[in-house]
Amino acid sequence: MNLLPSDDQQEIIHVVRSFLAARLPTSSIRDRRHESSCIGNDVWAECGGLGWFGLGLAEDLGGIGYGLTEEALLLREIGRHLASGPFIATILGARVAALAGQSAISQAIVAGEAMVCLAEPRAGAVVAATLSGTFDLLDAPGAMYAVAAVADSAVLLSADSIAHAQTLPSIDPALRLSQVELHDAVPLFCVEATQDPVFLRGTVLVAAMMTGIAEATRDIASQYAKDRHQFGRPIGINQAIKHACADMATRSEAAGSQLLFAALSIDEARGDRDFQATSARVVASHAAIENAAVNVQVHGGIGYTFEHDAHLFVKRARVLDRMLGSSRSHLASLLHMSGS
Amino acid sequence: MDLTFTNADNDFRDEVRTWLEANRPREQRPIHDRPAMREYDLAWQQKQAADGWAGISWPTEYGGRGASLIQALIWFEEYGRQGLPGIDACFVGQSHAAPTLMANATAAQKAFHLPKILAGEVIWCQGFSEPDAGSDLASLQTKGEIDGDQLVVTGQKIWTSFADVADWQELLVRTDRDAPKHKGITWVICDMKAPGIEIREIETMDEEHEFCEVFYDEVRIPLSSVVGQVNDGWRVAMSTLSFERGTAFTANQVRLAKVVEDLIEFARRHVGPDGRRAAIEDDEIARRLGQSRAEVAAMRAMTYAGISRSATQGTPGPEGSMIKLYYADLAQRIYVLAFDILGEDGLHFLNRWVPGGWSGSYLYSHAISIGGGTSEIQRNIIGDRVLGLPR
Repeated sequence: MNLLPSDDQQEIIHVVRSFLAARLPTSSIRDRRHESSCIGNDVWAECGGLGWFGLGLAEDLGGIGYGLTEEALLLREIGRHLASGPFIATILGARVAALAGQSAISQAIVAGEAMVCLAEPRAGAVVAATLSGTFDLLDAPGAMYAVAAVADSAVLLSADSIAHAQTLPSIDPALRLSQVELHDAVPLFCVEATQDPVFLRGTVLVAAMMTGIAEATRDIASQYAKDRHQFGRPIGINQAIKHACADMATRSEAAGSQLLFAALSIDEARGDRDFQATSARVVASHAAIENAAVNVQVHGGIGYTFEHDAHLFVKRARVLDRMLGSSRSHLASLLHMSGS
Repeated sequence: MDLTFTNADNDFRDEVRTWLEANRPREQRPIHDRPAMREYDLAWQQKQAADGWAGISWPTEYGGRGASLIQALIWFEEYGRQGLPGIDACFVGQSHAAPTLMANATAAQKAFHLPKILAGEVIWCQGFSEPDAGSDLASLQTKGEIDGDQLVVTGQKIWTSFADVADWQELLVRTDRDAPKHKGITWVICDMKAPGIEIREIETMDEEHEFCEVFYDEVRIPLSSVVGQVNDGWRVAMSTLSFERGTAFTANQVRLAKVVEDLIEFARRHVGPDGRRAAIEDDEIARRLGQSRAEVAAMRAMTYAGISRSATQGTPGPEGSMIKLYYADLAQRIYVLAFDILGEDGLHFLNRWVPGGWSGSYLYSHAISIGGGTSEIQRNIIGDRVLGLPR
């Protein structure tokens, strides 16, 4: 039993951080605010070149051969740096294609040549042999495929299937939002949860990005509490601020620890993996949403402006909370899962 | 990273589980009969000692089990899983006085006290807090004056659990009034039967009588009972913090996990707020139960992460304050939820030691964020030492 990253895993974190800082700084969200897609094809291909979209895919399926744990470390950094783009959908899409035996498609996705957006079913929508109902599309512009996943199965759709989507203004400037009505749409292929827990893996990756947001906002708020002076002293001296930051740290610690426990539960095929993954999702969601809001409050007026990054974390946390099931739906399912 | 245990550790877990199942106390712990409660707690300690399980984290040179960090974790996990209460009256001796003595006492002091603590012959209590020295412990004022080869103690301690049934006390007294407050304190072993000691029970909001205040009127303690040096007591008191390295707290987590499962079961049987369906059919209650399950899972993961850090660094860091804070907040949310599930039955008082004693547990839960360092002090520690915020 050991929940500390190995040297190898530390190296992954280090490389990811360096790349994100250099190539996907938070400022790129504002720079691309009026572009059709939130990330350029060139940078996306570089991410593919780094192996990000096949990191947890077995080597014989064309992946890098690490586990979900390493993918979670990657997504935590992506969340922390607010990098925009359909990272989770693309990772899941590559996996679905590979497991369905569609290696050409899978390899194009893994290489960063084909982007995959997320088709999130709204309440009442059906994801099975065919898809029907209303779907929110997250980052559809530029995507060649869409992935939809529910607890039982995950499917890959062609871009044609979602061609009639209606663009909507997005709450998050780092997200392109649209919506589509599907009527018995036939997916390219489907992977059942009995073959591979795609949805569950996605649940952990969402938790990973949320954990990154919780940690980033903890760090940014704490730094501001040290730097910002009022009444002739740093505001972090005041317990009202210090304790708010301490609570951010505690929520981050809970989210980060449970994230690793959950990822390892899936990598080690433990009997309680559903429970652990769903718990990670629930705890991380709370940490991300709370910390992002407290970060705004600690900053005061500047935290409410568009120019400051604080609002971007609030918005990303809310977007993530709507991905691969809502927190409400996960909470409802938690009571019926067997723990350990 | 991994969650797996070695075969040897799994065998150890089987051994622990088998022994606990066969030997754990099955009778109800006496609630109001204090001497009987003392005998109950000591008997359980004696049982563990007889079979070589006492002092799981104690080094073998002091007769302990000398278990590895992971094996200590396993012991406390299994201990909590059996639904066993804490070690209660034996706690201060086992987990606080003993490690302090190991780190600081003379050979004679160790030889006299450690075997008695291990064997379950004596109860220790803690004389730290005073009416005017709570979170600010170092401002304690109970006076210790050296008179020949004796220390003469006068003053008052408070919040002393089990003082009424204790044989010995780890006592902090001020021996130098002129020194800076952390420098004039002495850690001394006090015989609770010594003349001049008066003990008064304090009834708590859940109608328990575990707490006492202790008054000292020129109590004479031999100087040979001072542990460490005179005026070095603050360092002595702080030296025990790394003992068990976070493993003992594991039992709290496992116990809380069991509380949540019991509460879910209770919510299936108890009528809900609408008066018609079971409480668990209520969306809000169901969601809060689900949230509790997730958070108890996260607490376990935090404990594992903390132990992983301890295994690498040797000592636990300030991160332990995050586990304690998270636990206090979570346990209180869970017992408030229990009270909400009780609904109209919440007014019916049942002691927390009684099965179904949710109303008593709810009352007790107010203590969790106060005892052992308030949640506010934990937040200060996290802010100062984890985040490096200005003081």
